[in-house]
Amino acid sequence: MRISPDRVRRAGAAAVLAGGFLASGVARAADDSGVKLPQLDIQTYPSQIFWLVVSFAVLYVLVSRVAVPRIFEVLEERQDRIADDLDKAQTLQSEAAQAQADHEALLAEARARAAAAVREAQDVAARAGAEREEVARARVAGMVAEAEQRIAASRAGAVDNIRDVASEAAVEAVARLIGSRPGEEAVTRAIAAVARDGRP
Amino acid sequence: MASPVEQFALKPLVPLHVGGVDLSFTNSSMWMAITVIGVTAFLTLSMRSGRLVPGRWQSMAEVSYEFIANMLRENVGSEGRGYFPFIFTLFLFILFGNLFGMIPYAYTFTSQIIVTFAMAITVFVGVTVIGLVRHGLHFFTLFVPSGTPLVMAPLLVPIEIISYFVRPVSLSVRLFANMMAGHTMMKVFGGFAVLMGVLGVAPVALLVALTGFEILVAFLQAYVFTVLTCLYLHDAIHLH
Repeated sequence: MRISPDRVRRAGAAAVLAGGFLASGVARAADDSGVKLPQLDIQTYPSQIFWLVVSFAVLYVLVSRVAVPRIFEVLEERQDRIADDLDKAQTLQSEAAQAQADHEALLAEARARAAAAVREAQDVAARAGAEREEVARARVAGMVAEAEQRIAASRAGAVDNIRDVASEAAVEAVARLIGSRPGEEAVTRAIAAVARDGRP
Repeated sequence: MASPVEQFALKPLVPLHVGGVDLSFTNSSMWMAITVIGVTAFLTLSMRSGRLVPGRWQSMAEVSYEFIANMLRENVGSEGRGYFPFIFTLFLFILFGNLFGMIPYAYTFTSQIIVTFAMAITVFVGVTVIGLVRHGLHFFTLFVPSGTPLVMAPLLVPIEIISYFVRPVSLSVRLFANMMAGHTMMKVFGGFAVLMGVLGVAPVALLVALTGFEILVAFLQAYVFTVLTCLYLHDAIHLH
């Protein structure tokens, strides 16, 4: 608290006036009643000053040599302890932050590795699938070609058969109709013409 | 009935005369000694264990220490640190003297004008010497308030000088008058209580209130004396 010197001075002056008034009033009252105010008895002053100086000096030595250093020491110790604890807390906090950062980094790394593994597995699976599909497709194509070949062969066989049967039937029919067997070459030519044009 | 001011009479307990001067150990001296013991006990016993988390007594000792330390820091600044033991002693001596004076049949040595004046004049001389040592002749600019027009100087400088030299008087009379008036008043009301018989309940009730008030005054006057000492010290060190 800072008290303005002006106010102090004014208060001081007021106190002097009041004090002086009071002291003189009390003193006069005391004089009137025949009782002297003990405070104004100059005879007692040396003893009072002497013992004041002695006791104040003793107290000053005790306070400045014993009490103040002790209190200072205790307060200092507490201050140190508090500062120490704060430091420790700060260290721990930064350590915790570091640990959390480490943990998060680790987690991110693990996550990235997992994602990579998943992607690789997917790639491998996709490649394997594609290969297998390729093989299957090739096999199926082979089988289809083979089947087509077989179909074509059997069709050709069937056509030949039909010609043979047709030429035999034609020979038999002609023999029945005209009573003489046509030449094999003529029958073949006639059947080929029918097969090609639909008429002889 | 005894006069209300009879309580301030000094009674020699151990007569002592040195070279014709009466230096008797009186009831006042005894209570000064008790104050010294009380203050020392308060400060040392409470701090004996010096716990990290203070108990009641230790906390009171620490609070009084920090109270005066803050007062000195705020009013004087860091230059005032060296005077801390003196200011602290002064505060506790006056405070405990005032408070012990509230014990029935105890003697209030701060109700003696010579005691308060001796302390005030010590502060006054000490502060003046500190100012002179620190600033030399420059110290006397203290009597010229900053920003004073030169025309006003002949008027203001004497006022400043008078107000400066009135300091020890005001400082001592304030404490002495407060203590003496309070104790006289209590004695007067005490007398009424005896005289009025059953109706004495009223002055006794007043006396109870007055006792609380006097304890407040004991603290307040110790504080005022100390804070003014700090302000004077501030003036001596900083010159306004």
